[in-house]
Amino acid sequence: MVVPPILKDLFRIKKLDVSLGVIVGLLLISIFGSILYRVNPLAISGPPEQPPSKDFPLGTDSWGRDLLALLLAGIRNSLYIGVTAALISLSIGVITGVISGFKGGVTDSSLMLITDVVLVSPSILIMMLVAAYLKERNPIFVSLIIGVTSWPWVARAMRSQIMSLKSRDFMYMSRMAGLSDMKIIIEDLLPNMASYTFMAFVLLMSGGMIAEAGLSMIGLGVTKGLSLGIILYWAQILESVRRGMWWWFGPPGACLVALAASLLLMSTALDEYFSPRLKGG
Amino acid sequence: MNPFVRFLARRIAFLITTFIVFLLVIFALPRAIPGNPLATLLAQIFQQFQANPDLVRTVEKKLMEEFGFGKPLHIQFYEFVGRLFRGDLGMSVAFYPRKVADLVFVYLPWSLGLLIPATLVSWVIGNLLGALAAYKRKKAVDNALLPVFLTLSQTPYYWLAMILLYIFAVSFRIFPLSGAYSTLRMPSLTLSFILDMLYHYILPFFSIVLGAIGGWAIGMRSMVIYELGADYVSYSDSLGLPDGKVLRYVFKNSMLPQVTGLALNLGTVLGGALITELVFSYPGTGYLVFRALSTLDYPMIQGTFILLISTLLLANFIVDLVYAYIDPRIRTGYVGE
Repeated sequence: MVVPPILKDLFRIKKLDVSLGVIVGLLLISIFGSILYRVNPLAISGPPEQPPSKDFPLGTDSWGRDLLALLLAGIRNSLYIGVTAALISLSIGVITGVISGFKGGVTDSSLMLITDVVLVSPSILIMMLVAAYLKERNPIFVSLIIGVTSWPWVARAMRSQIMSLKSRDFMYMSRMAGLSDMKIIIEDLLPNMASYTFMAFVLLMSGGMIAEAGLSMIGLGVTKGLSLGIILYWAQILESVRRGMWWWFGPPGACLVALAASLLLMSTALDEYFSPRLKGG
Repeated sequence: MNPFVRFLARRIAFLITTFIVFLLVIFALPRAIPGNPLATLLAQIFQQFQANPDLVRTVEKKLMEEFGFGKPLHIQFYEFVGRLFRGDLGMSVAFYPRKVADLVFVYLPWSLGLLIPATLVSWVIGNLLGALAAYKRKKAVDNALLPVFLTLSQTPYYWLAMILLYIFAVSFRIFPLSGAYSTLRMPSLTLSFILDMLYHYILPFFSIVLGAIGGWAIGMRSMVIYELGADYVSYSDSLGLPDGKVLRYVFKNSMLPQVTGLALNLGTVLGGALITELVFSYPGTGYLVFRALSTLDYPMIQGTFILLISTLLLANFIVDLVYAYIDPRIRTGYVGE
């Protein structure tokens, strides 16, 4: 198999290797961990409030549920919500940004007005407000709430990318060749924005995971099921900190921070790779 | 027309537009969601006050009146806005018969007292550290600081709060476990009460400051690195200007986007701070929101969020004005749009 030179180049970046290692590592641990460690996370499997021991590697919570099993499932679900939320806001952001930048004129100004209104509104508060009215919140709902409030900066960034691409020579060529708008967007513009779009996705994903945890902490997370935020929420309402149960609130928070920070590190590394000015001489 | 006045007019128009859009959303939410959320609340009230049917009927009537279901939509909206401008945010259900507005004004000062100093302090420290890291990039200082910034910027304040609380109040009993002042004290303006308040203030304050520093520092670091590559820097260098002077220019130019960043991130900081209050059982708006959410106190939820979001929009507007004032391009009218 031939490895494309760009991949070889990318893998030479240490920051990228580290961040990819953490994310893929935690994902694999979560998947294979749940297969190998066959304990039902939501069932009572031991005495309550046990510190880590041989039988319970990460201890148990106030109901006697196994915290390692909870953590393994939580990582997966948090990643899932992060990815879906990121895909939702990325689609809204890219579509708005591309149309706005490409069409210009009234379309542009009205789309950008909407974008600015959403941009200044405090997204986490809007998320809480919307979530408060939903009695049942499944992971998709939660992702949707996060997704529809966090796209504006993507739209703005995409718009300026398109604006700068629009004045390049190859665009005039395509226009002269009589290609349709749609074809120009798909064949000329989007491939040129692939790296940028991926960076936006990575940032949205870490933002989405953190937003999910925040929503859960205030009691507005998924109503059925688990996530890292939900474990933290239980730890919070049952006073795990004041009662010294570090094994309850510690690991889920640490996993969340490790995942989110790795995603940010990944986008930083890609940013430096694709825009050399940031690397600095 | 004076460019500053024109800028001001545009920003005010935008503020009003945003506010109207936002009122429409708040108004539409409880009405658009299928399976009237108020029904759940009513059922709950009914259970809670079973022994007192008169009270149930009063609360029910009050709720129906406030949300005005049943009347035509435009009249509902008109009444909703009318009440809002009279400062009437309705009656709380969980704290019946206290008014939402009164309750928020008891709890809001605690939140603001925590949020505003913490945000400003973290913004200043973060910017300074970010500039330092950028200036020393490729050196040990930057290599050590950057991972710390990256991690801190992705650490939720409330988790940091849990860790700090565990270390400094549970393991080593240096700081108090909860609250904004000792339970036995009555708030008063005496020195001993203020000292007691500060003693309770330290952990929540540092949770927010530490958590927020990373984000500002990363932003500032990339701005400064970007500026250092600009033509005017190489030009000044070639003229032989002292490093300090060039750095001052760079710092000034990099600060401007950070001011906008402050405005745009206020909401996120506030959201995080509200949850941090929960960890410390700090008697701020976060506690109020949490209580309201767990009791489905919709008038309270709606009222608190209206106040919080309006405050943020206003703060955003003020930061915009400050930005216009300190950016000479807007102040003197050189606006190349």
